[in-house]
Amino acid sequence: MITAAGLCPWPPILARELTGIDPVIPELRASCAEVIDRLIRTAPDAVVVVGPAADTQVWTSYDHLDLSLFAPMRSVATSCLPAPLGLGAYLLDRANYDGRRVLQAVGSNESVNNCVELGRTFASSSDRLALLVMGDGSARRSVKAPGHLDPRAEPFDAAVAQAIATSDFAALEQLDSGLARELMVTGVAPWQVLSGAMKSITTRTDMLYADAPFGVMYFVALFMPVYS
Amino acid sequence: MNPSQERRMRDPGVLRLGPKIFEPTDPVVMAVVNRTPDSFYAPGETWDQTAALQRVSEVVAAGAQIVDIGGVPAHPAPAVDVNEEIQRTAPFIAAVRSAYPDLVISIDTWRHEVGRAACAAGADLVNDSWGGWDAKLAEVAAEYGVGYVCTHVGNQSPRTRPFRVTYKDVVADVLDRTLSLAARAADLGVDPSRILIDPAHDFGKNTYHSLEVTRRINELVTTGWPVLVSISEKDFIGETLGLSAPEDRHNGTLAAMAICAWEGVRVFRVHRVAEAVEVLKTAATIRGDLPPERTIRGLA
Repeated sequence: MITAAGLCPWPPILARELTGIDPVIPELRASCAEVIDRLIRTAPDAVVVVGPAADTQVWTSYDHLDLSLFAPMRSVATSCLPAPLGLGAYLLDRANYDGRRVLQAVGSNESVNNCVELGRTFASSSDRLALLVMGDGSARRSVKAPGHLDPRAEPFDAAVAQAIATSDFAALEQLDSGLARELMVTGVAPWQVLSGAMKSITTRTDMLYADAPFGVMYFVALFMPVYS
Repeated sequence: MNPSQERRMRDPGVLRLGPKIFEPTDPVVMAVVNRTPDSFYAPGETWDQTAALQRVSEVVAAGAQIVDIGGVPAHPAPAVDVNEEIQRTAPFIAAVRSAYPDLVISIDTWRHEVGRAACAAGADLVNDSWGGWDAKLAEVAAEYGVGYVCTHVGNQSPRTRPFRVTYKDVVADVLDRTLSLAARAADLGVDPSRILIDPAHDFGKNTYHSLEVTRRINELVTTGWPVLVSISEKDFIGETLGLSAPEDRHNGTLAAMAICAWEGVRVFRVHRVAEAVEVLKTAATIRGDLPPERTIRGLA
């Protein structure tokens, strides 16, 4: 069963070690920390981190974020953990979570059905699982954005925000993955896994953060099941 | 450096560009001359041809040995098609060639059609600023007997910004790519003494990657290929100093240039020439590559 699900983005600048003297985005970091804290407080048997990657696979639970991929002078981890999972593991580390964790990469080109099915398997687990789903909205939200401004980005992200805020998991499942690729959205496949895990559950949603301060849309949200 | 990279080294020697021959100890300044309305530094300043020719006159007087003429900014949008890029650059190159027969003229482009038009108009060097994106561009350099700059941009396509780019070892990646491009250019017939390598700070790199490339620039220098750096007023300088406006980044630019010069970089692509010349001359004199201009202090 799912005890709770959290949604976080995975900009490398979430790692305080990568932003230099200026903390840059303390509000975003605080929102993510709150999500992790509330996930942990549901006393799960394990936290399942779901993040986009080239291929769908499970990574070993003791893998950590390799900061040196982004900043060569930083310590080097021994693994090649994909950055989205690495940032998820980093958030758990920062919360001093030492319970069981599952690092689940989901291929960016994975079919909707496979993503949804993967989510269902988590929901039907006999373990109490908390999901931490890593993904961003469009990276084309402004002229200075990594992908420059695309006028289709804002309405796309608005639709995602609406789906998150109203726990409309069917809408997350039906996102146009082709358009999402053009808009440099990293969250689609993980959100579809989330949908598979959550859509049969009544949930209450808290949206803690939804903004694009550097032209990349970040969503931070918590979905708490309401079991009658 | 791995064995494959070692095989692709070159003996340090002269750099030939156009009619000029530069010794390994001669620091060379390449002045940026943008034929664009919207480049990141001093946008539109030399969009007008008269202003651009005036800029060439000024940078030559200030000590630039190369002018690097480009018709498309590196940042995304608005699009500039091939014909427009040729119109922005080739006639201007012809005008510069006519006014300055011995000046080394470089064309900053990633497109072979533009490279061809520029060489026909008198360019001496093809600055392939998006790292071999168009494989035919090096062929144009070979065909015209001009020089060629081998650039590392990671996996970026032209006019895109890096988005969460990662490297296991960014300098190893730079070496791998630039040495491959150099070997290919030489195989195509570009005179090896006219080939340079450029790690391309900021291109396909975050600030930490560009700082690492700068810190380890000597690993490029020891390949023997002349190294060009284009660091002038760039974002990695701005982020290092917390300065968002490009025009505020000059002191940081000069500091990074001095370090690169000390480590043996030979060509510096810059916006502000006079200051760059003084920095490079100071660095070269400290290295012992140049004598001081005039020495009386304590000696009279």
